[in-house]
Formats: sequence, structure tokens, C-alpha cells
Amino acid sequence: MKYVFLKDMAYRRARIVLTIISVACLVALILLMGGIMKGLRMQARDYVESVEQQAETGTVWLSTERSGSTFAGFSLLNSEHLEILRSLEGVDKDIPLSPIIFAQARPVINGKETKAVVVGYQKGKLGGPSEKDKTDPNAPFYPIIGRLFQSSQYEDYRPMDIPPGEVIVDELTGLEIGQNVELAGKPLRVVGKTRGKFFVFDTPLLFMDIRTAQETVLSNVIYVNTVLVKVAEGYNPLQLANEIKERSTVRVDAHTGNQIVEIILANYVDEPMKGVQALRIMLWIATGLIVAMITYVTTREKIREIGVLKAIGASDKYVVSLILKQVVIMTLAGIILGIILAYLAAGVFPIMVVVSTSESLLVAVITMAVCLYGGYIAAKRAASVDPMIAFRGR
Amino acid sequence: MNSLIESINITKKFGESESAVVAVDNVNMSIYEGELLVIMGESGSGKTTLTSLLGCILRPTSGSLIIDGTEVDYDSEDLSMIRREKVGFVFQLFNLIPYLTALENVIIAMDIAGIKEHEAEERAKELLTQVGLPDRMDHRPSQLSGGEQQRVSFARALANNPLVVFADEPTANLDSRNSASIMQLIEKLCNERRTAFAVVTHDERLRTDADRILEMQDGRIL
Ligand SMILES: Nc1ncnc2c1ncn2[C@@H]1O[C@H](COP(=O)(O)OP(=O)(O)O)[C@@H](O)[C@H]1O
Ligand SMILES: [Mg+2]
Repeated sequence: MKYVFLKDMAYRRARIVLTIISVACLVALILLMGGIMKGLRMQARDYVESVEQQAETGTVWLSTERSGSTFAGFSLLNSEHLEILRSLEGVDKDIPLSPIIFAQARPVINGKETKAVVVGYQKGKLGGPSEKDKTDPNAPFYPIIGRLFQSSQYEDYRPMDIPPGEVIVDELTGLEIGQNVELAGKPLRVVGKTRGKFFVFDTPLLFMDIRTAQETVLSNVIYVNTVLVKVAEGYNPLQLANEIKERSTVRVDAHTGNQIVEIILANYVDEPMKGVQALRIMLWIATGLIVAMITYVTTREKIREIGVLKAIGASDKYVVSLILKQVVIMTLAGIILGIILAYLAAGVFPIMVVVSTSESLLVAVITMAVCLYGGYIAAKRAASVDPMIAFRGR
Repeated sequence: MNSLIESINITKKFGESESAVVAVDNVNMSIYEGELLVIMGESGSGKTTLTSLLGCILRPTSGSLIIDGTEVDYDSEDLSMIRREKVGFVFQLFNLIPYLTALENVIIAMDIAGIKEHEAEERAKELLTQVGLPDRMDHRPSQLSGGEQQRVSFARALANNPLVVFADEPTANLDSRNSASIMQLIEKLCNERRTAFAVVTHDERLRTDADRILEMQDGRIL
């Protein structure tokens, strides 16, 4: 009979349904935790990768020596002191150096103090949306709704040369063009909007002219957080980074774009999320334990049935496979329901959660393996029932 | 006569040395083709233990067993194979699987032996008709009377055409009317088939119809 195990399950359906729901909840939690981390990773790398894409030929990010980059430590550079690097071999001639401010801030958005990252850059250089991003779907900051901010008059730092306070925000802030954002007491008018430009934990990026950023978050000083070097075509970013570290008269840290991505991931995702990872593994163990325990308790109840099956000739293998088929069905149903739950929950989650098909598959496979292992141990024990029980009274 | 199952000095002890209970003590016996063998004896005399030794549910402490001409190799053989192919069991408490219908309870015995579903269903229907339950096939055990459940048990025991069906006090849980009809069923089945029946019972009625009666006392056959 092909479906003995299903008939058994139908007979004990309340317990089966409860098990399936428990597995589903745990699977959904495991997936959501993974989804949160995946969302964090995507947001963590998005800005630097967009800039890398903008540079095309590779980037080297300069920061205060031993700061570990502006994304990991505190970095302030006087960009004028680095002007000398323009002429270094391997540095792009068109856009050699791009000063950037990348700073956490608490602007007032829609009347509420909100976390945000201020990105100050020079419009014609690297570091933020350019004219190209308004029309080219392949541009890294595409699409830009509205327009770009007006720039300061001079390329070099002059204290009085302050452009109109204008900012480009992400559309998820809910701000409309023409509204104001207040940053360090100064109102900045929203002139354009980006789509999906965040740093970790849905922190929106506020793009503005470097001078506006200096004025608002750095008390109008000459300093910037990082200076971006565009690598000339055909040159290796890593070599250039090493060369800059050796040759620069001002002592600096120099990282390639890839290194910066690694630093950000380690700092903002992998290290802080270690606990979540551990929790995920514990949830997996819990899932396996639940399935094993319920299987075991259920088989304890069925001890007489199993003994009778053995007495009338069922091999241990037959009994184990009967029980394992139920474990597979329960686990599979739990996993599928869990994945559906995770997708539904991801949509309404307060922070970005990315549940992917490949992640779901991986979770399904691992959960199945863990539950099969637990179920197998329980089934093995159940199959060792003494068939003499069939002769005994109740 | 052809001996289907033969025990040679078969002994079963429970427990260790001093305090060991010798439940079956050096029993030599045979069960022959087509016979109705009745095993009687006081409670605790070793009837159940002997039955399960002969039916390969228990391993003996010493002695040997010859089934269908070959000695059982307790060290390497899978006893479950003997149980599903050579013998059938009927228990005092019926022991039907509660979530299966009468028909499925018979089919599962064949499923265990790897018989194809279609063939098993045919045979199960025949057997249930033979035991007098042609119209109870789709009933669950809980929907059947004790007597009916025990009839299903006999059909299940016969499913794989065993050499011997062992029935351990099959009527002990039935009222006298149902007991009588089960006894009649045993006689009928025994007459209709070449299968031997070894029935443990206190029922005097079966005494008259038995081909042979074994009396047990303290693990020995008198
Ligand atoms: N698993 C066991 N452990 C210990 N003693 C047992 C066990 N099974 C049976 N016995 C003992 O063996 C003897 C024979 O038991 P049994 O074969 O059940 O007798 P009967 O079926 O004739 O009533 C009894 O004394 C019983 O207590
Ligand atoms: Mg007994």
C-alpha cells in the first residue's frame, strides 16, 4: 500500500498540522533573518559599488592614515594637500581626484529627526548622481527625478563660496520636490529624488554639493572624509593604492573599491550580525529537535502498532521508511508554508528584507537534512520496539 | 507426515543465571501440514513464549528450529522475513491497525511482503469473504465488533499463505457467542486449506475438533 503513511497522518492530523505550523514558523524566521542580512549586505555595498560603476576603471579611496577608511573609522583629509597625486602615473587624467564627505547625520525630515547619511561631492566628479543618471538607465544612480543641485562657484575651497542649499533625497523618505530638509539648522530644499539609494538599515542617502556638506556637517572647514582617486584605464587599483601609500607626502590609507566593500560588510553586517547568525543556527537545531521530538513522541504512542507490524513481519527498514515518509511530508509542508510566510512577511517588514529563491532553496535543503536526521534517529528508536508487545495486554 | 516447523531442545530463559525464569524448557515438537494443533496449559506455563519461539518472534536461549526443512540461522538470518513469509499470527487483542480499514489491514500484511497492491487487494477481498466479512471491508476496527475484528485478524494472518498460523488465545477477549463462531471459523479454515493452525486456548470446545493437543506445564510439554 503506497499511502499507509498518509492514512496514519490523517488519523493523527491535529498533531501533524501543529508540527507543520511550528516548522513553518521556524523556517520563516530563519529565512527572514537571512533576508535581513541579505538586505543589509545589499544596502551596505550599494553606494561604493555605484561609485565604482561610475568610475568604470576602478577606484582608490583615500583616508586618514590608520583610520581604516572613512567607513570604518574617523577620517578627515585636506584635499588640497593631496592635489599632488594628480600627476602620479596610473591616476586618471580627466577625473583624477574626487573629494567626498560621507557622514552619518540626523536631519529633520517631515518635522521628525531622522537618521541619514550625508553624501557631499562635486557634481562633475565621482561620488553621486551626475547628469548622465537622469537619462541613462544603465547609469548607477538612475533614475533621478527632478534635477541635480546647483554647485558652488569654484572648484577649490573658499569659505564664502556657498551654493544654494539644495539636496537630492531618496523617494522613500516621502519628501516631495520643493519641500525642505533641515540639516544642522540649515534648510535644504529638495530638488531631486533617487530610487533605492540607502546605506544599511534603510538609512537614506542625502546627496548634496561638497560645500553644502562641509558647511552643514563639518562647520564649513576645508576638510573632506575621503578623496576618491580614479584609476587610469589599464592600471591595477591595488598597485596604485600601494603606490599612493608609499609615495604620498601626506600619510594616507588607500583602499581599492573592493577592499572598501569588504570593510563595510565586515563592519556593518558580518560582525554585528554574528549573533543573528548564531541564532539562525540555533533555530535550525530547534527545528530538527521539534521534528525529532514530535516524531519520537508520536512513535511512542504508536509503539503497539509498530510492534504489531514487526510481529507480522515488517522489517526495521519498512518501519523506518514508514516513519521517515511522514517526516518528509511534515517537513516539506512546513518548509513550503514557511517560505510562503517569509515572502509575505518580507513585504510588510519595517526594514528591507531580501528573501531570495536561492536562499529559500538552501534553507529548504538544510532544514530537510536537519529534520531527516532528527526523524531518522527517532524512527530508528521506534523500529527497535520489541514485537512481543503484540502478545501483551494493554 | 510432513513437518512444517520442528523445534529441537528449544529453551527460552528470561533474566540472568540465579533469578532466570525458564519460560520454555527443552521443548521438542513439530507442527504438521494442515493440522489443527491445540496448545493448552495454565497461565504462565509458557504457551505464549513457545508460540513466539516457533513463529520466530523470539530468539531461543538454546536449541534450534527447523522451518520448511531448513534450520533457522539466528545469527545471520533476518527473522522478520520468516515472519512475513512462513507464519501468520493472531493475537488475543486483535491488534488491527486503527487507521486502516478491514481491507487495508489485510493488504498491509502483503505490502510488508512486497506484494503488488492490485494483487494484494484481490487476495484480501477473497480472504475477507472467506472469514465471513464480505460486507465489512471498508470498516475501521473501531466500527467492528470484537468477533469481526478477530476475523479480520485471521484474514491478515493468512494473507501471505503461511505454513502455520499461530493464534494465542484468540477468544480470550470475546463473549461466548463470538468465541464459538471464531472456533468454528478456525475449524473451517483448517479444513479448507493446507495451512496448519496452532491455537493456544482454554476453550474446551476446540479440544474435540483438534487433531492434536499439547499440554504445557512449567515450560515443558507433558
Ligand atoms: N519478557 C519476560 N521477562 C521475564 N519473564 C517472562 C517474560 N515473558 C514471559 N515471562 C515468564 O515466562 C513464563 C511463561 O510466560 P508465558 O509464555 O507468557 O506463559 P503463558 O502464555 O502460558 O501464560 C511466565 O512465568 C512469565 O512470567
Ligand atoms: Mg499467554
